Amino acid sequence: MGMLAWVIMGLALWHFTIWLPDRFWGGIVGAFLASIAGAIVTGIVISLALHGVAIPGRHATHLGTVLYAIPGALAGMALIYAIGAARERSSERLAGGPFGG
Amino acid sequence: MSERFRHAFVLAVVTALVLVSLLIVVGIPGVVKASKTHLGLDLQGGTELIYLAHNTNGTPVDSTVLTDTINIMRSRSDTLGVSGVDIRPYGKNEITVDLPNVQNPTQAAKVVGVTGQLYFYDWENSVIGPSGKVAGPNNSSVTCDGTTQLSGGPACGITWYAAVIRASKEPAIPVCAAHVSKGTRCFATESEPVPVYYYLDAKTQTVYAPNGPEPTKALLLADLTQKHVKLPAGAKLVVVAPGTVVVQATSAPEVLVPNDFYVLRDDVLLTGKEVSNPQVTTDPTQGIAVSFGFKGAGASEFTKVTAALANRGYNNSTSVANPNEQHFAVTLDGALVTTPSIDFRQYRYGIDASNGSEITGSFTYATATTLANVMASGALPVKLEEISSELITPTLGHQALNQGLTAGLVGLALVALFLLLFYRVLGVIAVSALAIYALYLYALIKLVPVTLTLPGIAGLILTIGVAADANVVIFERVKEESRAGRSPLNAITAGYRRGFSAIVDANVVTFMAAFILFILSQSDVQGFALTLGMGVLVSLFTAVAATRAILGTLGRTRFIRAPSALGVTKRRRQWTFDFMGRSRWFFSLSGTILLVGAVAIGARGVNFGIDFVSGTQIQASLAHPASVSEVTKTIESLHLKSSGASIGQPVVQQVSSPGKSKKRTYDFQIATKTLNVQQIGGLGQPRSVLGLLAQRYGLVSKSYNSVGPSFGKTVADSAAVAIVAALLAIAAYIALRFQWKYAVPVMIALMHDLLITAGVYALTGRQVTASTVAALLTILGYSMYDTIIVFDRVRENVAKMQNAAFSQIVNRSMSEVLTRSLATSLCTLLPILALLFFGGSTLKDFAFALLVGVASGAYSSIFIASPVLTHWKEREPVYRRRRARIAADHGGLVPAYATVGAAAREIDTDATGKRPRRRLTEPPRPEVKTGEFRELVRDLHAEPAKRPAVQAPAEPRPEPQRDPTADARPEDVVMPPDDAARRRGAAKSRNRRRGRPR
Repeated sequence: MGMLAWVIMGLALWHFTIWLPDRFWGGIVGAFLASIAGAIVTGIVISLALHGVAIPGRHATHLGTVLYAIPGALAGMALIYAIGAARERSSERLAGGPFGG
Repeated sequence: MSERFRHAFVLAVVTALVLVSLLIVVGIPGVVKASKTHLGLDLQGGTELIYLAHNTNGTPVDSTVLTDTINIMRSRSDTLGVSGVDIRPYGKNEITVDLPNVQNPTQAAKVVGVTGQLYFYDWENSVIGPSGKVAGPNNSSVTCDGTTQLSGGPACGITWYAAVIRASKEPAIPVCAAHVSKGTRCFATESEPVPVYYYLDAKTQTVYAPNGPEPTKALLLADLTQKHVKLPAGAKLVVVAPGTVVVQATSAPEVLVPNDFYVLRDDVLLTGKEVSNPQVTTDPTQGIAVSFGFKGAGASEFTKVTAALANRGYNNSTSVANPNEQHFAVTLDGALVTTPSIDFRQYRYGIDASNGSEITGSFTYATATTLANVMASGALPVKLEEISSELITPTLGHQALNQGLTAGLVGLALVALFLLLFYRVLGVIAVSALAIYALYLYALIKLVPVTLTLPGIAGLILTIGVAADANVVIFERVKEESRAGRSPLNAITAGYRRGFSAIVDANVVTFMAAFILFILSQSDVQGFALTLGMGVLVSLFTAVAATRAILGTLGRTRFIRAPSALGVTKRRRQWTFDFMGRSRWFFSLSGTILLVGAVAIGARGVNFGIDFVSGTQIQASLAHPASVSEVTKTIESLHLKSSGASIGQPVVQQVSSPGKSKKRTYDFQIATKTLNVQQIGGLGQPRSVLGLLAQRYGLVSKSYNSVGPSFGKTVADSAAVAIVAALLAIAAYIALRFQWKYAVPVMIALMHDLLITAGVYALTGRQVTASTVAALLTILGYSMYDTIIVFDRVRENVAKMQNAAFSQIVNRSMSEVLTRSLATSLCTLLPILALLFFGGSTLKDFAFALLVGVASGAYSSIFIASPVLTHWKEREPVYRRRRARIAADHGGLVPAYATVGAAAREIDTDATGKRPRRRLTEPPRPEVKTGEFRELVRDLHAEPAKRPAVQAPAEPRPEPQRDPTADARPEDVVMPPDDAARRRGAAKSRNRRRGRPR
């Protein structure tokens, strides 16, 4: 149940990336994967740290469990955005250089 | 084969199939009998039992053993005198038993599901006393002989705890011989002798073995989990070596009676294998008995054994007036059935068994019949463990059937009404096709035969929507072609040709979802998947082939001469909404809904039904008034044998009466931990839940559903596997038919729909059942159906609009298919609404999930899948360049729709208006393929030629300059018809345009 909550949270947060410029590495789909993966990873890590359980079951899932996904989803998307932006700058530099168009 | 002949042939096939279907459905009175519809237990009432089979030594069973077991169970079920008993394998090592209209499911379960290992022992020489030695002929304190109780009677032995302790002290006895009937010491089990395990708690002197002893520790622990029995801290594992058995002297093993256990040396004299033709007889002196004959050497062995017992009785008696009669004991599956004595005065040289023998005891007719039936069919080669049971009363079954049929008829009527209002003549044809579809499908259900269940009816009702969807997709396309200036006949031909790929893709995806569901899911969901899959195939035939033939034939008549007959109005509804530009708001809306869903899952959780979490749900209608606390206390007072544990804390709710009974009843829903059929019980079984309620408050009607944890896990696992498998297969299909980049947004949209549905379930607190899983998988199929319809048009427009930005292509596609998408969604939602309002409780649950999912699916195909595809595709260099070019031409902004020239007029791919010649654009590749051209030529011949000649493709013209903003369909901008031509008729102008050189 914890996993379901984290995936929903990751997916929910991803929807708001539509307001950002599309500089994600892999585009909107890259952001989607990063958000879901980040949500699951931090969900597991925080849950392990706090409760000693990787994925909380039906009865162990509570409101706080859902929030564990937020930092991971945001961090995942931020990382992908940073990589995408860096790659974009790099390709722009190449394009504007002596061999660029 | 000419078009006309083909249509006539298809119509002939359709008519022939209609006649055959009518024959199957209604028959011919007095000549051909109509086929019977096979109704599932949920529609006709009855009991369903599911058993988990494992070998007596604890190893998993193989398929041969499972088949042998089922054959023995079938032969036992034949003796029940009930028709329609269905016993079939269920998964790798499970067996389902459907008992329709069985009045006493407890008795039926005893006959069908018991292992049935029958053994005969020398009682006095087998019972082990406190010293660890066999009692012998004169130890009545151990054998109970001469007390107020009969030998081996209940309440004359020792406690279960003491018996296990005594048995555990006995050493293992080596295997003596393969044959067990020679009177030598050997093992009772006919398979490999193994030790058995118990858990004992010395503090409370309790035995923990809820399903009896198990051959492995792992199995014993699994039983404890299954029965929700928690081991105390001090519990110890105890092993009883082969050669010693603990038997219980009671006919009701689920009831705890103290001191009814005996420890026996496992020295078997005869087994059930040596018995033949057992029958229930009424003995004038002994009462009800089970008589039987012997096979092979069994008779002489029996005579020898009884002679030895008689001789021993004679030798140990002090006088004839005070005989010390000796006994033999009969055990069945570890229960002591009887211990008849041998009267040495009558049978000094043993009982002559050439004419058989009989077992007498405190039998009722039912228990004697059970024993006779079990003896007749022989022992099962496996041990069966009941993991699920469900009882539906016939009244509730018929009620569910009526509700399902009402919902189906209302759904059909609503869809028919919508089609008639929206498509006029086409609507009449679509409704006819729907009627034919319903007839075919019903005939197929009878012919196969498909066992119709409640989820199956839901599947049928849903396929009404799917069948209508196919018509809607085609008809919208026909209308588009008609608006583009084609004659009705040509519009029909082109509409079917162009709409066909979308229909095939969408139906293949739905069929794949149904197929995967059928392969990987459990029985109820399987019924749904089967009817859905059959419905998809039949609807492809009726909605595409049949309607095409009807329309193709009618198109040549006066019925469909004017475009208005096709429902084409003069002014086309033009959607000019910037779907892609506004998508961020819709994304935000979805994100917010999902956030609320995530919070709801955290705060409220998902209310899983017993299909997933195991337990027993009982619905009981009581004749006399009772409060919730009274019912709760009554149930709590039951002391069932689950290692001495009580039934636990039941959750009792008073509910409104589900039926329309004339008499006032008091209805309760009781939820407990998992109970078996015996524990749930019924009338005349005072030591069961329903028996006790019947005794105290009168039981009017009952139904129950009991699911063990292992079964619940199987359901949940199979559902998860089915969803993942369906997603992967469908993604692969979309990648193959479109592009892999099209598959990813489809998957994201699906995830969106499924998770929104999960969130809504958490928010509303509705129960998630096995039916909900079926609904989720349907959502999966339907959501893709809608998305594929949209993507199909995107794919088509990508080829046409070769200079437009991808967002413009998608906007254009959206505006073209939105009406169609809304119409198909409405066609599917109408039968779902009928299910929601007219279906019973099960169908309502199902319809709720479908309602949320289908609405979400229609929304996500437009506002989630398409924007994701747009964002992703626009990163491709070709679309980046196009976008940059268009932005440069429009002051840095990309118009929502592709435009032509400085006036920024929106390109109308269907436009027939005049355009400046200077805007003539060179199409990058020929639009008209050879096959298409030939068909167009055929079309020309098909249409009444009002003009003497039509311009055929002529010499190529000089290629004009490429205009980067002109991306309209070449035939629309290259050869606009002149005004005179327009006046003469749109059909001809189409031909003119088609005939231009490429």
